[in-house]
This record gives sequence, C-alpha cells and structure tokens, in this order.
Amino acid sequence: MPRKLEAHHFEALGTNCSLFAVGLPTGRLLEGEFWVRRIGARLTRFSPDSELSRFNASPGRWTEISPELESLLGESLHAFDMSSGLVNVAVLPSLQAVGYTRPMAERQPIATELRARPVPPLRDVLAVRPGAARLEPGAGIDLGGIAKGWMADRLRDWLGPNALANLGGDLSARGMGPVGDGWPVGLGGATVVLRDQGAATSSVRRRRWSAEHHHLIDPRTGLPARTGLEEVSVVAANGVEAEVVAKTALLVGPEVAPAYCAAHALAWWLSP
Amino acid sequence: MRTVILKAGATVLTVAATALSALYVTAHLKNPAAPLQPAVLSASGATTLSAPGGTLTLGPSVQPSTAHPVTSTYAS
Repeated sequence: MPRKLEAHHFEALGTNCSLFAVGLPTGRLLEGEFWVRRIGARLTRFSPDSELSRFNASPGRWTEISPELESLLGESLHAFDMSSGLVNVAVLPSLQAVGYTRPMAERQPIATELRARPVPPLRDVLAVRPGAARLEPGAGIDLGGIAKGWMADRLRDWLGPNALANLGGDLSARGMGPVGDGWPVGLGGATVVLRDQGAATSSVRRRRWSAEHHHLIDPRTGLPARTGLEEVSVVAANGVEAEVVAKTALLVGPEVAPAYCAAHALAWWLSP
Repeated sequence: MRTVILKAGATVLTVAATALSALYVTAHLKNPAAPLQPAVLSASGATTLSAPGGTLTLGPSVQPSTAHPVTSTYAS
C-alpha cells in the first residue's frame, strides 16, 4: 500500500515555499517551515539585526559566525570558483547601486541612473576559517542568489529519505517520490522526474523594476545582466549546484550556455 | 677581414637556425583536423525538445513524465 504524500505550503524568504514528504507526519513539515524562517531571518540582508547584516557591518576583522553562515560562505567561495567568478556573492554594493535596497514585497525599487560598479573577486574580499570569517572594507555580501538552494538541500536531507523541498523555485528532491518512480517536477513547460537531484531557475523577468533594472547583476560590469538569455532552468546533482549552474548559464549568454550546461547540468531549459 | 667572417658566420647561423626550426615545427605538427571544441559540446545522449519560449534539453539521467507535477522550478 503506497504511503501518503504530505504537503505543506507557506510564504517565507519573500517567496512561496513548499515541502513534500512521503510517510512523514505533517508536524515534521511544519518544523521545516520554522527552520526556514529561523535561518532566513539570520541570512537576510534586509534586516539590520540579521547575522549577515552584522557581518557586513564588521569589515576588516575576523568575525565569529554560526555554522550555517560558515557553511554558506564556504559554498559561496565554491560557487565563485565553479562559475569562474560569475556567481559572486560580493554583489551587495552593486545591487544597492541599482536601487535594490528593500524587499520587493515591501516597496518597488526606484529606477535610478545605472552606474557601473564592477564586483571585486570574491576571494579578494572574503576569507573563511572554522567559526569565523573576514570581509574586506567596502565589500558586502548578498546571499540571495545561493541561499535558497543551499537551504533546500539541507531541508530535503532533514525531512528524510523521500522528500522534496521547494523554496521559491529552487528545489531539492530525495528518494523515489510519491509513487516510486521519482518526483515529477515542472521544468520549462514539461514534466521531468527527479531522483536525488535538484533544480533551479535563474531569470531576469522577475524582480525587475524597469526595462534596464533587475536583480541579476553581472559581476563583470556591476550592472544588471543583458546577455540574450532571460531565463534558464537547470537540473543538477543538488539544489545549490542547480542554482549556480542556472545563474552562470544565464550570464554567459546563448552562445556558450548550451555547452556550459552540457558540461555541468543534467537537464536545462534556455529561454531567450 | 675577421669582422666580415664573424658577420657572415652570425648570418649563416641565424638563417640555419630559422630554417631548422621551421622544418622541425612542420614535421611535428599536431593533427590539423583536431576539433577546437571539447567533445562534451555534443551532449551525447541528450534529447532536445522545442517548446514555446525556449528549448528544453534532457540528459540521459533525467526522464520526461506524463504525470502531474507536484511542484515546479520557477523564477521568484
């Protein structure tokens, strides 16, 4: 007899989130929501009291950080290397320079004059050691481009052997799904089956406040990306890897993205 | 006289070195037909489907399904 699929939907991290698990009590999914809210509050750049904001406000010295922030900053350095510098969490000053200073749900940013503010190489401004990290003066970290995939991976593992966590479209699946052949997931207008894999979408169509202003900064220019691709969805080994590959593919543009995805992704959707 | 011999010797040596280098390089040329792109570009085993608004490519480890999706990846 197939075990029951439990689902729990909620809003957090400024987006819609869903947790699914087979054979788990609903209370376990509710605990997952609490975890998302707790970690999200720690990692947001929009709250001055968050751990990330306090870290950003303490440049030039080693600062004690939680194991979660340490893990995410380490993952960020890995993403920087994996993307040849295109996924760079030191993008905060550029995001603020183009007007993205508040959550979109709170107030639409104002379309200001675009000024190029190239992003420094992450390894030049961020160092991480066990229990502590150091940020160089003038730099700032925004984890919005990597945190959801990272959290989805941890949630998926925490929920058990047959679960799926979807945090704002960045998702991570584990196990054989509700009927035993994997987790059916929508990707680029089709349905694909995920087994121990992650998927993510990077797009310049959302979080956009003018024809030229949106949230996805190209670190090479410090300006909103204009590469000829507007949306990329990717299936990869896990959620955070899918997030990094999708963002990199969008930034390298339509000429190189198919080859890049062929080398780094398991499935991909490219939309110009 | 000695100066002329030295100049002529240096010229002969230079020309000989150039000619020998050119012969060596020509004789040891790598396969000129070798592809400039890595083979991974062909994404062997992948299936590409055209869909409204873009292209979807599925590698061999991701299967399409006719089942109703429980959720989707999307931009947020």
